[in-house]
Amino acid sequence: MIEQRPGLSITTIALLVVIFLQIPVIIVVLASFSETSYLTIPPQGWTLKWFEAVFTSSNYLAAIKNSLILAVGATVISLVLGVAASYALFRKMLPGSEALTSLLMSPLIIPSVVIGVALLQYFTLVGLRGGFLVLLIAHVVITVPYIVRSALASLSGIDLSVEEAARCLGANGFTTFRLMTLPLIKPGLVAGALFSFVTSMENVPVTIFLAGPRETTLPILIFTSVEMGVDPSVAAVSTILIIATVAVLFVAERWTGFHRFV
Amino acid sequence: MSNLSLDHVVKRYGDLTVVKDVSLGIKEGEFVSLLGPSGCGKTTILRMVAGLIEPSGGAIRIASTDVTRLPPNKRNIGLVFQSYALFPHMTVFENVAFGLRRKGESGTTLDGRVNEALAMVRLPGYGERYPRQLSGGQQQRVAMARAIAPRPSVLLFDEPLSNLDAKLRDEMQIELKRLQRELGITTLFVTHDQGEALSLSDRVCVMNDGIIQQFAAPEDVYRRPATAFVASFIGKPNRLKATVRGGRLTLGEGLDLRTDSALGADGSATDVFIRQEAINLTPTGADDANRIPGTIALRSFSGPQVQYVIRIAGGHELVVEAASSGTASHLEHGQPVTLEVRPQDVLVLGESVRS
Repeated sequence: MIEQRPGLSITTIALLVVIFLQIPVIIVVLASFSETSYLTIPPQGWTLKWFEAVFTSSNYLAAIKNSLILAVGATVISLVLGVAASYALFRKMLPGSEALTSLLMSPLIIPSVVIGVALLQYFTLVGLRGGFLVLLIAHVVITVPYIVRSALASLSGIDLSVEEAARCLGANGFTTFRLMTLPLIKPGLVAGALFSFVTSMENVPVTIFLAGPRETTLPILIFTSVEMGVDPSVAAVSTILIIATVAVLFVAERWTGFHRFV
Repeated sequence: MSNLSLDHVVKRYGDLTVVKDVSLGIKEGEFVSLLGPSGCGKTTILRMVAGLIEPSGGAIRIASTDVTRLPPNKRNIGLVFQSYALFPHMTVFENVAFGLRRKGESGTTLDGRVNEALAMVRLPGYGERYPRQLSGGQQQRVAMARAIAPRPSVLLFDEPLSNLDAKLRDEMQIELKRLQRELGITTLFVTHDQGEALSLSDRVCVMNDGIIQQFAAPEDVYRRPATAFVASFIGKPNRLKATVRGGRLTLGEGLDLRTDSALGADGSATDVFIRQEAINLTPTGADDANRIPGTIALRSFSGPQVQYVIRIAGGHELVVEAASSGTASHLEHGQPVTLEVRPQDVLVLGESVRS
């Protein structure tokens, strides 16, 4: 195969697109260092006081804690349920596997607002109102597709005879899953779990219908504080999120080479 | 070490029967090949013995124990896959140790058994490598070491050499035969390569269309094929239409052939098989040979052999193989020649049809 190097014009366009897409990120990061009590670009003066404000605000700290617990909890539950479901679907253990797969993936396509309304109605109907459990269930619904998608993709990359070889060498079904299937799909699962975590962390449209005042998550808090008048602590907390995300992606890429699964 | 037997084994997929009532007994320590074209049911049989496919009917016994309904992990078998199926996330050592660990081996016993198996396949010191760091032939050896390390009752091979290049395949054939002899493990070897089956096996089981055509020693399968399918599948035979007339076989006017095979009723039409390599192109030969006059229609040189297409009376054409170093290696197009075939090489097989 001949390696095709892109021409200069293509490179320029690609670079411009990347810059264009990153402008909002750059702006919010810059704004978080401004000394003014309103958001402004370019920043006037340099200060870390808005970061300090975030870390001393009980509201922000509570919201960050809520979001982290929710995102970790939803991702762990989605991993267990999603991997089990994907394995059954991939091995065609159930009738109508294709239809079931589409059903599990549907939260990716259905607008989040619709899911939010639907879940609100559903929980009201079954008598579950507010509370952390409701949020957790909702977040599992919206994060499970990411796990299923990456698990199915990883499973299709496994040579079936590897599992058969393990069986012939004396491993029972569960041992084979534990020692062959799981390690072989792990990189894909790490990627899926990251997507799941980020999806839960940043979700507004579903959460806003279901979260009570005690369960306010970080994106909901940012959303409402922007409504009530913006001060640069919003930009600061956003900057913290951006840095955290970049750090996690960097570690995950080093660990699993996970760009192959995105 | 044990024997393996299949008793009226059947496998159906819906309306399609891929294995039709196959019964087969393999003696302790015996090396048996399942040989046939793709789709003949040989791999299905192997996978049923391994427990990866459940038979629709019949029974499979390993060491006189009925294993028909047992899962693969309870059968004590070793299976070598065409794709090797090495565990990509484990080192060579862990690959080979996998079966031993499932049997509860650990510590120095485990180390010893793994190293012994690696030494047997001539890969000592490769334990720390990963499968992707090995060549195809080395991966093949690891797959073999992994299969033999737990000392299975039966070794199963699913076309294990078909992914190797020709030279390496020959080496591995010898290696495999030596290994099986040393270990004395009952072996079932699936292949579509007749050379492989004939040279490796104690007995060859030729299959077609889900049915055993012949189960015999390699020499018998080659020299005394039981059915027309076996005769046409093994070796490179010429197939001619002949008629039985007056107790003799005739290809046409004045073209009688003497044969050692039993003949059908007078006037019946039959297929005659003569192997390319059984025809002698030198002008003198044994006195009892059939002599057929013909002319060279085509010559093709393929290294150690020269192939001729020879036209004889009655519109028949025969393919003849001659050694490049022999006296019949430089015959030219259109040159008249005499073909000599001994009566024992004229094979009359299959259903005789009355004309």
